Amino acid sequence: MVSEAIVDSPSCIAITGLGSFFGQRLALRLQAQPRPPVVVGLDLRRPYRLEGQVRFHRVDLTDPAAGSRLAEVLVRERVEAVVHAAFRRDPTPDLEYDHELETVGSLHVMNACAAAKVSRLVWLSSTMLYGPRPDNPNFLSEQHPLRGHPDAHTVRNRVESEELLARWRERHPDAEVTVLRSCWVMGPSFEDHVVRHFESPVVPTLLGYDPLLQFVHEDDLLDALVRAVLERHPGVYNLVGRGVLPLSTLLSLAGKRSLPFAVPLFYRLGRWPHQSATGDPPAGFYDYLRWLWVADGERGWEAFGEPAYSTREAWISFVSSRRMRRYR
Amino acid sequence: MEEIGADAGEASDEADELDDVRRALRALKGEVEARLRGRVPTSRAASVDWEELFDRARRSLSTLGMVERSGEVDEFGMDEVVLSRAARLFDFLMDTWWRIETVGLDASTPRTPSLLVANASGLLPWDAIMIAHAVARAQPGVERPRFLVADWLITLPFMQPRLACIGGVRACRENAERLLRSGRPVVSFPEGVKGSTKAFRERYRLKRFGRGGVVRTALVTGAPLVPVAVIGAEETHPVLFRVTTLARLAGLPFLPVTPTFPLLGPLGLIPLPSHWQIRFGPPLDLGPVGPEAVEDELLVARLTEELRERLQGMLSQGLRERASTWG
Repeated sequence: MVSEAIVDSPSCIAITGLGSFFGQRLALRLQAQPRPPVVVGLDLRRPYRLEGQVRFHRVDLTDPAAGSRLAEVLVRERVEAVVHAAFRRDPTPDLEYDHELETVGSLHVMNACAAAKVSRLVWLSSTMLYGPRPDNPNFLSEQHPLRGHPDAHTVRNRVESEELLARWRERHPDAEVTVLRSCWVMGPSFEDHVVRHFESPVVPTLLGYDPLLQFVHEDDLLDALVRAVLERHPGVYNLVGRGVLPLSTLLSLAGKRSLPFAVPLFYRLGRWPHQSATGDPPAGFYDYLRWLWVADGERGWEAFGEPAYSTREAWISFVSSRRMRRYR
Repeated sequence: MEEIGADAGEASDEADELDDVRRALRALKGEVEARLRGRVPTSRAASVDWEELFDRARRSLSTLGMVERSGEVDEFGMDEVVLSRAARLFDFLMDTWWRIETVGLDASTPRTPSLLVANASGLLPWDAIMIAHAVARAQPGVERPRFLVADWLITLPFMQPRLACIGGVRACRENAERLLRSGRPVVSFPEGVKGSTKAFRERYRLKRFGRGGVVRTALVTGAPLVPVAVIGAEETHPVLFRVTTLARLAGLPFLPVTPTFPLLGPLGLIPLPSHWQIRFGPPLDLGPVGPEAVEDELLVARLTEELRERLQGMLSQGLRERASTWG
């Protein structure tokens, strides 16, 4: 494994969405490698934390000409691998902007990779794309259709971008595309609307539903990302922690209280897409606390190694870090 | 001799020291208590602790009895702690309420994970729970069988978490295959919703076995198919007729009208104490057929029909031999 990694590892790696949590952390991790590759960062703003460590280029993926601009950068920097992490952690109320960035922006990235003949593309995706459905099997494999959620526009955008990617992959059979679908991320520093939902001492839940949930720790996801870009793992992988826990157990482990709401009442509220502006969970979120959408991580564990944290440990790591923060 | 004496002296010294410490601690405790007594209003201890009462009410309301779950569940959500607590109820139902006799359990049920195929009866999965419990009791140390539950039931609020705790899994091929591959027996009801919504006059007449999903699962996983005839369960909720329109609004396939339900309200949900017999038939081993036969639709249909006829035969025989429904 190691020798293969050294022979095969790209010497120049571009990261779209450098300012995002995983973009930044991945850049730092790559710098800490024994033979650090050149990291080219692409984003709207230059992250000051990475000053002098990455070659930064300002690229706006919502710009209609982003494709050619990106291709130009990729060629000039002789990029060998691209990590596409420019996805929103939280949906914005601006549905159109999100669509331009996530769906059309992804298309620009693919086209630029094709034009610049970049052979390796790593795609950060989510198991949320399978969608919470009453008719899901208990474990969703990578072959399961991405059904998304009709109300959650970011999920819809990303399903669309993955469909575009699948079509692109057919047209470019020699490109190595790795899609990492991670479940909800927990850890001491990661934050998104899911984490914020679980952060408060009283967590809204749905009356009569207690789905099994799974989490992956931020470090495990980063380790897998590093391996995906440095080694050779073409294909689609679910990236989850081992084990599942019911929502009620998670809350009691954390010493949190659940605030159950009756479903009809809640759904009326949850349909407003603009809710996210107020910091409430985005539309469709509560279905993820209602139905099963647990993914089967076997393939991912085989390819990227045993995760250091199980679902329970990732959750406890999140809970204990927040507890410390409260007393600081 | 001297050495031993010295040891004893040391030991008694230590004991003295410990006594001192204990005395000091007791004094400290007394002082703390004395000081606290002045602070804490004594009347409060006597009156109702509203805060705690509210907290308890909220907790029991929010989880509706699901609080006492252990931390660990298996990958399908089965909870050993809940199961061991429910075992008393299951034992009661099995030995006292329905007086269940099991036939052929030790001889014919293989210890390898098998796919148990039973006749569906009634809306609530009592039959599934009883089959699983009978097997678990007869074969301790072997994985407890899981039972497959139709979609409409497992998606009802409050139902899904409860059923998952005691080993219920949504009925679909992916789940059945995963369970069998991981070494757990599976109880399935291939008649599906058609089976559990049978009217009383149609009892013990098997409906079509879906589209051959059971046989396909058995072929793919190599698990033996064990026909299980449950006799007596189809009298627990004798459905006189069904109300469909009203039930659709509530998301149910239909609303059964039994002699006791909805006449007696929730009391009508109590299953009638008929006399049960669970017959485990000889396993149908599809091993020689091989997994590639899954593609052969006609063969799958033929095997499914064979399985259905076998189970129907067991049911008919059981009914002939039964002395009385309630005895």
